Amino acid sequence: MVSVLYFARSAELAGLRCENPLGPRQKSALQLWRRSVKLAVIRDQVVFAVRQEYVLLGDQLLLLQPGDEVAIIPPISGG
Amino acid sequence: AMAGAAAARLRAEIRRRERELRGLRERLRPSWLLGFPAELPPLPARSALSAAEILRYSRQLVLPDSVLVVGCGGLGCPWRSTWRRPAWAAWGWWITTWWRRATAAAGAARRGARGRPKARSAAARCGGFNSAVQYVPYRGALGPRSALRLVRQYDIVADCSDNVPTRYLVSDACVLAGKPLVSGSALRLEGQLVVYNYRGGPCYRCLFPEPPPPDTVTNCADGGVLGVVTGIIGCMQALEVLKIASGMGSSFHQYMLMFDALEGRFRNIKLRPKKADCAVCGDSPSITCLQDYEAFCGSSATDKCRTLQLLPSKDRISVERYKELLDERVPHVLLDVRPQVEVDICRLEHAVHIPLRKLEEKDEEYLQYLQKRIREEKQRTDEQTSFPVYVICKLGNDSQKAVKILQELPVKEFGSVLAKDIKGGLMAWATKIDSTFPQY
Repeated sequence: MVSVLYFARSAELAGLRCENPLGPRQKSALQLWRRSVKLAVIRDQVVFAVRQEYVLLGDQLLLLQPGDEVAIIPPISGG
Repeated sequence: AMAGAAAARLRAEIRRRERELRGLRERLRPSWLLGFPAELPPLPARSALSAAEILRYSRQLVLPDSVLVVGCGGLGCPWRSTWRRPAWAAWGWWITTWWRRATAAAGAARRGARGRPKARSAAARCGGFNSAVQYVPYRGALGPRSALRLVRQYDIVADCSDNVPTRYLVSDACVLAGKPLVSGSALRLEGQLVVYNYRGGPCYRCLFPEPPPPDTVTNCADGGVLGVVTGIIGCMQALEVLKIASGMGSSFHQYMLMFDALEGRFRNIKLRPKKADCAVCGDSPSITCLQDYEAFCGSSATDKCRTLQLLPSKDRISVERYKELLDERVPHVLLDVRPQVEVDICRLEHAVHIPLRKLEEKDEEYLQYLQKRIREEKQRTDEQTSFPVYVICKLGNDSQKAVKILQELPVKEFGSVLAKDIKGGLMAWATKIDSTFPQY
């Protein structure tokens, strides 16, 4: 099972912290990103990571394996 | 005669102590009065450590670098304890605005009287821990005119600030000055740490080319932050600075450290290398000098809450006017649109509570509940005119958004409703009407 993890603002916008989407194992980074329309406003302000590694939000295909973690990480600015 | 001699000896002792005290005051004064952007006073020439210093630091590092710490709130404060021990032959340069209402984390450094600059009280307290280290407090907000000159005087910069414009400003300044930036941030139960502009790693703009829309930024004043989280991230920043200063290097130019306090987990996210077309650190940069970062980000360089003006004044009332309406027992519904967690802190007893988010989502259950409450209250009047609904939140921003939503509700179901927001929200209520009402 693949997990999509939402952090900071993205968790607020998406209304959840984690989900396990089903569907084809091959998806582009953009397809994964577009799963949540509410996130559109922060598109240029996130680190999008697959298997804990930065991935450019583009059309390149990602082969997702069970157990893979997709993370959406907006910067936080507080301190 | 013996008593007279003793008295003379004591008087001489008092004079000596007073001289010493004057001398100490003189030593402290110049650093408190430094203007912006002052040149750093030179470090005293020293060829070696004294025997006492060698004994004190025998197990630790001696670091020749200087560090600029931007901000001394929750992230900047833990540095004090890390400076207590290492022989930090360096300058701490604290930049901040005046004391504000402190967050829980900032409370750690809150020893001086209110109104004293945080930087000054923090530096004064650090000096008390370790007199061999020189701490230079700087008062005032860092701006595009002063930042570059200041950053150039240091070897390493640590970003402990609390707002988006300052983060872009400090990052750009570090790129232009060629200094590594140890950047920490924290909000609620999450923390992040990255070393920018270091050994081929990205800068802040490489990862986040555009600032977030101001509406999507949650600051610590709104969202809250747990002091332990800023403490953990602040200490890790100090550690990375020590590693960079001593030549050990840091791996956080290739990884972002994420701390999730709720889950109790640290994650290292592998980052991209620097972006070839980055506007500031790329191959042909378009940004070659510092800009107006508040305009760039559409928000001010502070973590204070913004004041929105979404409604015309006819759709708003003051807390004083609302108090009159209450006293006159005018039938109405008071709608509190704050999140549940804030309602749990304090509330007005008679308020109907529906979080703004539920209104925005047009949540059926909540809208029906509102409709029911309006209908109940309306039965108490036989007037046919529009029924008043007053909307309140913490500061009067969300309440305006809620009024806009209420104005669009179908008249068929809700009847004719006259929605207005209460200016300044519950915090205005606390300051102007009921001083016993909690402020948070």
